[in-house]
Amino acid sequence: MKLQELLAKTGWKLVTKLDDKEITGVVISDMLSDVMTNAKPGELWLTVQTHKNTISAANLVDISAIVVTHGKEIPADTVALANRFRVNIISCELATFELVRKLVGLGIGA
Amino acid sequence: MTETKPLNVSLSCLREILQAEVLCGEELLGGNAEGIYASDLMSDVLAYGNAGSILLTGLCTKQAVITAFLALFKAVVFIRGKLPTPEMIAFAKEKHLVVFMTETDMFEACLKLGYLAGVVQSDTLQQCEFEDKHVSHHEFMIEGSDFANSGMVSTSVKQILQSIGYDPMLIRRVAISTYEAEMNVVMHAHRGKVFLTAGDREIVVVIDDEGKGIPDIDLAMQRGFSTATEEQRALGFGSGMGLPNIKKSTDDLNISSVVGKGTRLEAHFLVQQPPSQ
Repeated sequence: MKLQELLAKTGWKLVTKLDDKEITGVVISDMLSDVMTNAKPGELWLTVQTHKNTISAANLVDISAIVVTHGKEIPADTVALANRFRVNIISCELATFELVRKLVGLGIGA
Repeated sequence: MTETKPLNVSLSCLREILQAEVLCGEELLGGNAEGIYASDLMSDVLAYGNAGSILLTGLCTKQAVITAFLALFKAVVFIRGKLPTPEMIAFAKEKHLVVFMTETDMFEACLKLGYLAGVVQSDTLQQCEFEDKHVSHHEFMIEGSDFANSGMVSTSVKQILQSIGYDPMLIRRVAISTYEAEMNVVMHAHRGKVFLTAGDREIVVVIDDEGKGIPDIDLAMQRGFSTATEEQRALGFGSGMGLPNIKKSTDDLNISSVVGKGTRLEAHFLVQQPPSQ
């Protein structure tokens, strides 16, 4: 599934410009080094981190989008940097666990 | 080692070997070089250089051209892509000096010419495989505690490697290692320098920092060990996976550190598939 389709199916909000990428799976962590080690290209990264450093990490391991859970506000400088490096950020009100359930229901990461 | 033969090769042959660009004196390329002198210290050139030689130098100032002229040299080769000023070229033209520029660095240029002169044996050279035509060097600075710009060096490194056309999985390993090392400098050091050397056979990243150093490198290499502060952990750093990640992503890793001075990390990545460009 591609990002645009996921957004259409869930109604989750994209806070950056869209760079429509194929979603290959999911990685969950709030520790950047864990993401650097474990994320595979094309995965969605579920996190509560919203500061600028997430963008370079996301860009370096080529994840398809950062999904910020629990409806956390995303600072404007993070969004600006994400747009510069074509990193997608999705904002979602759900808690991480609920979000995972939803993704699994849609067949992502199965 | 074989005995050193006197060198007597045409300047156009030297140009081929060094893959140099001719900046002036095209009409003189049929002439022969009788020797080679490599130095950045002009007094040494004047003291020891023989007439009829060519000068290999990284000193890209008018003094280099004047010295070559005074020492009765035939040509000047500026190494590592250094470009002389129009004024220097005008001077060289007037004095009938050939001026070359090569992207090759001093060591490699000397080895290639050493082979020509019979100082280095050809089998040694084959081992070295100087087919490495695209070696590029880049340097970056990292400021300690600068969380706002952190990650930018590794992002630039990735962009450079992508533009050269390396295999994406290799780029990923370099990017991950550079990112972790960059974050270590931001978190634990005052400042650091990053040197990237990207060649056809190997990519090397060296990160040299001024900072508190690592008292026990073996301990620091353990998964989960971290000296990050609470603030840094809140930002998602300090999971104690940085150095282990680097270790996992590199083909060869050397770390040396002096407590109170700083740490030097040297990461090597073998290039299996030559870059596509």
